[in-house]
Amino acid sequence: MIAGAWLCLLAPLGGALAITLLGESSSRRTAAWISTLSVFVAFGGAVASFVGLLGRDHEEREVVTTAWTWLATGSFDVGLSLLVDPLSVTMMLIVSGVGGLIVLYSIGYMHGDPEERRYFAYMSLFVFSMLLLVQAGNFLLLLAGWGLVGLASYLLIGFWHERPAAVAAAKKAFVMNAFGDATMALAFFVLIWQTGTLDFETAFEGAGGMSQTVVDLVALGLLGGAVAKSAQIPLHTWLPDAMEGPTPVSALIHAATMVTAGVYLIVRAHPIFELAPSISDLAAGLGAITLLVAGLVALVQTDIKRVIAYSTMSQIGYMFLGAGLGAYGNGMFHLLTHAFFKALLFLAAGLVIHHLANEQDIRKMGGLRRAMPRTYVAFLVGSLALVGIPPLSGFFSKDSILASALASGGYGQLLFAAGLAGALLTGIYTFRLLFVVFLGEPSPLVHEHDHGPAHGEGPWTMTVPVAALAVLAVVGGWIQIAGIWHPFGEWLDPIAVGREHLALVEPTVTQDYVTSALAVGLGVVGIAVAWMLYGSRKWAVPRFAAVQETLEHKFWFDELYDAIFFRPAVFVSGLVRGGIEEPLIGGSISGVTLGAREAGGALGDAQTGYLRTYALAIAGAVAVLVVVFITVQ
Amino acid sequence: MLGPDVAWYLIVSAILFSIGTAGVLLRRSPLIVLLSLEIMLNSANLALIAFARLHGGHDGQIFALAVMAVAASEVVVGLGLIVAIARKRLDLDVDRLRVLRG
Repeated sequence: MIAGAWLCLLAPLGGALAITLLGESSSRRTAAWISTLSVFVAFGGAVASFVGLLGRDHEEREVVTTAWTWLATGSFDVGLSLLVDPLSVTMMLIVSGVGGLIVLYSIGYMHGDPEERRYFAYMSLFVFSMLLLVQAGNFLLLLAGWGLVGLASYLLIGFWHERPAAVAAAKKAFVMNAFGDATMALAFFVLIWQTGTLDFETAFEGAGGMSQTVVDLVALGLLGGAVAKSAQIPLHTWLPDAMEGPTPVSALIHAATMVTAGVYLIVRAHPIFELAPSISDLAAGLGAITLLVAGLVALVQTDIKRVIAYSTMSQIGYMFLGAGLGAYGNGMFHLLTHAFFKALLFLAAGLVIHHLANEQDIRKMGGLRRAMPRTYVAFLVGSLALVGIPPLSGFFSKDSILASALASGGYGQLLFAAGLAGALLTGIYTFRLLFVVFLGEPSPLVHEHDHGPAHGEGPWTMTVPVAALAVLAVVGGWIQIAGIWHPFGEWLDPIAVGREHLALVEPTVTQDYVTSALAVGLGVVGIAVAWMLYGSRKWAVPRFAAVQETLEHKFWFDELYDAIFFRPAVFVSGLVRGGIEEPLIGGSISGVTLGAREAGGALGDAQTGYLRTYALAIAGAVAVLVVVFITVQ
Repeated sequence: MLGPDVAWYLIVSAILFSIGTAGVLLRRSPLIVLLSLEIMLNSANLALIAFARLHGGHDGQIFALAVMAVAASEVVVGLGLIVAIARKRLDLDVDRLRVLRG
């Protein structure tokens, strides 16, 4: 089991190193397969850990393995240790399993790219970083993984470095994430100062003795990191731009794994968040706001990947809502099913983009159902799962979060209402995308790329992962059915310290069923509205200039940040440059060089080139010295 | 003590040293400058040996031998340079060899 965990962590790192070191001596295809195999080996390791944990009693399902002491300074030391418990194993399975499928898909998608090797090295590096993040046995190692996934995300968003938009998006993502990393690091400093350790167990125990303000600060710092990484308001603006990266990257990093790390962090650090209820409520509230805002913005986006990106933000909003209210199991459950159906949607969208030679504008698409029937089915499955239509996976997980919200008092019911509104929006924007892209008459662009049915919809490396994810998106939710069986919740329970169940809220069966009825009903209404607007086109799409403009500008967040941060910073920099840098620093340095040059010129005149001048100087100096010595004595 | 007083030796030494210095400073042929340098070194040798005789020790004499060895090596290098300059058909004139100047 421990060997499995180490194998899981190190296999992708080995893959990345092998591709890098082999360089051009391996063919592009070899590099692709090295990367794919390394991630599947990691999945094997994760399964071994899973089986190992299953074989243990509930109370003993938490194993910490330390390779060596990583840092030791006085009484504070940090080990290079892995934590194997149900939570980390769940994440390991998701990351390496879904990751393996997506890397396999990349073989077909990236085929022919001149820098394929670099891509696959980055992909392996990302999987390693993500596994480090979820397997870390202490906060410092977690922060290392946290930073590394940010790096891998930066490298992969900017993979097509000849596109200025991709480079700008990569920078934006990095800067936004660096902000979150910084608040997290500050929280860790406070933890070290207060408890003297970063190990999960001891830090959580020590957190009980901290004052309310300090706990709030620590939780707020952690929340800052989680919000930045998971693209929640107010640090969300990088995620839609991150769609500049290759589509499998969007599926792996910006849908299935990295962006859900914030949810993982909240669940992992739940004892701290429970000590700071106001911050937990803030997390849930931010999730609710994000799910509404992202759902609204998704209604007007015209880039197929951006629509799915906003839907990702919205779904992570649900997870934050659940995790913030203490329904950790349900949040993790939605994380799991979301990884399946959102990766499916992205990969299916990738098939469409691949088919149409990198066209992403849905206004130019239409009627693709005839050319790509199987992709249509996959996309339909993903969309139904996303909207939460039974018996697909999203139904079970989203409704369980909403039911928990309903069961957690007045504040929870407010969030519950927001979640229901979000369900309606999800129905509309998801099926708007589906109807516009796949139904209707084939557009000129689609005609142009119609290669006939014999051409197929993509190489097997692309279609097989899509098919596998489609199956998972259907059955993935059956591991937990409200009111009937809860193996997933029970599996996660051991991470609760000192109480029987992990979740703080336990909805009643009635609440579960009421929620399901409402959420499914609203989802269906959303689909119906989308059908009337975009499918049958019986209704004209309502347009209100102000609303339309606000949504198309994504609620003016980019413009706001531009005005608040970018412009003042540029202004102040200009002032400092004109007032301090150029006259004081630049002036003093050029003054020193000028002075040195002039002094050198003057001294140079003393050097005549005549031997006798030098001899006379030496003789004169000796004479002076002699006189000095004699008189001093 | 045999011979004249030590002061006479020092006077001769000082005269020799002055002649040498004047040669180094005033003459323009590098060959003569080198010769004048040798005269200066030997004036120092003379002073060393005179003092050695005065104090009855051997240190000064040994030191004079060392100076001779150094002087010999210096002549080798100096004459080598002069020959090299002559081979390049440059003027043997220290006032014209003044490329190295500020």
